[in-house]
Amino acid sequence: MKARLVLLWLIVGVPLAWGVFKTLQNVIKLLQ
Amino acid sequence: MSGGFLDRSSTIAAPNFNRFCVPPAAIAVHLAIGQVYAFSTFNIPLTRLIGLSESAPGDWSQKQVVWIFSIAIAVLGSSAAVFGRWVERVGPRKAMLVAALCFAGGFLVGAIGIHLHSLWLLYAGYGVLGGCGLGIGYISPVSTLIKWFPDRPGMATGMAIMGFGGGALIAAPLSVMLMAHFKSATSNGVLESFVTMGVIYFMFMVIGVIAVRVPPPDWKPAGWIAEAKPKALVTSGNVAASVAWRTPQFWLLWGVLCMNVTAGIGVLGVASPMIQEIFSGRVTAASAAGFVGLISLFNMGGRFFWASISDYIGRRATYMLFFLLGILLYSTVPTIGFGGHIGLFVAAFCIILSMYGGGFATIPAYLRDVFGTMEVGAIHGRLLTAWSVAGVLGPVLVSNLRDYQLAHGVPKAQAYSVTMYVMCGMLLIGFLCNLSMRPVDAKHHHQSP
Repeated sequence: MKARLVLLWLIVGVPLAWGVFKTLQNVIKLLQ
Repeated sequence: MSGGFLDRSSTIAAPNFNRFCVPPAAIAVHLAIGQVYAFSTFNIPLTRLIGLSESAPGDWSQKQVVWIFSIAIAVLGSSAAVFGRWVERVGPRKAMLVAALCFAGGFLVGAIGIHLHSLWLLYAGYGVLGGCGLGIGYISPVSTLIKWFPDRPGMATGMAIMGFGGGALIAAPLSVMLMAHFKSATSNGVLESFVTMGVIYFMFMVIGVIAVRVPPPDWKPAGWIAEAKPKALVTSGNVAASVAWRTPQFWLLWGVLCMNVTAGIGVLGVASPMIQEIFSGRVTAASAAGFVGLISLFNMGGRFFWASISDYIGRRATYMLFFLLGILLYSTVPTIGFGGHIGLFVAAFCIILSMYGGGFATIPAYLRDVFGTMEVGAIHGRLLTAWSVAGVLGPVLVSNLRDYQLAHGVPKAQAYSVTMYVMCGMLLIGFLCNLSMRPVDAKHHHQSP
């Protein structure tokens, strides 16, 4: 059950973190 | 997949099931459908399907293309209202699968529309079919999450609805990457990107379909006891969706959501030109794009933050805060603009947009407090028509007020001041609606046969 929980959170967490990272990258690049 | 796997009875969780497995299932669906907020990345490529690098005769105009998004958002609200009770009846798994089929199908029909250069097929595909996927997908996990987290309903629905905000952050760079990847001498890559995104999003939503579980009837978290004396607006009864929408409480909450969304969405649509015009010569188009990215992050983060806060301070107090703080910020923004304080201006809009997102995320828990859990998903679906109205009202109001000001000789830098004061007025209406909220009369409570 714990492995399933971790896996599910990774499946949604990784793309979300990527999206936040790309947005922050643009924000920093553009506000410089 | 057999009918049995999709039935509500097949989704009842085993006794040792960890309830924290349910939010990722909901987030998977919301991250996918949140793509709609980034649809504008396709707008320019869709106007260059023939000319590729430039619009050519026969290409669609920008004005024609933006209707795809507007139709999708309008259908989102109406399909959530129409299919809300069906979603409650069939359970989250079947509803999520139908949402996945509609949303992915919208992309695929849209791709055929691009291939045949038929704009109507795009309107029907992404706009109507995809819009149904948006509406059903948006409401499908809401009541399930509320039932799993009776102790933290705001936090639970906040997580899912944060996913909707996060979906745009993923889809914007993903669309740009896919179009660059598929670009060739004969295609600008938009058709291939539509097909790829349809397939990717379908698979992603199916993860939610497989993972979602409903709690057994009368399930409660271990050790959790409902408050003996619930907060003023929290009901112990349940109100059916068909009854709820006839109560004044439904329409007051409709006004609360509509005013909160109108104030945020109007600014969101014009954020880039607004900051450039107010700080003319100091903010470039590139920096303005950074500002839009920043407020999108606050829009997403506010969904989780404010909805979680509402579990502690109560739903009515949370919206009071949105409206009072919103009025304060909107009324000082013109002064901040005249003073040339860019940092303060950006900070004010980050807070405003966090409250815009927070308004979306806190409303399901507010509905649960007022109408109970029985048909909260269906009631939420009907309330989302406020979003459709605000989606038209906000941008129209902001752009028309600006044009009116400019036509009467007001300098560009000051053309948004009246808009800000009008937003204060809208927030005041929302504040009064929220202030008027009272518990639903017990005569409306559902009586078990």
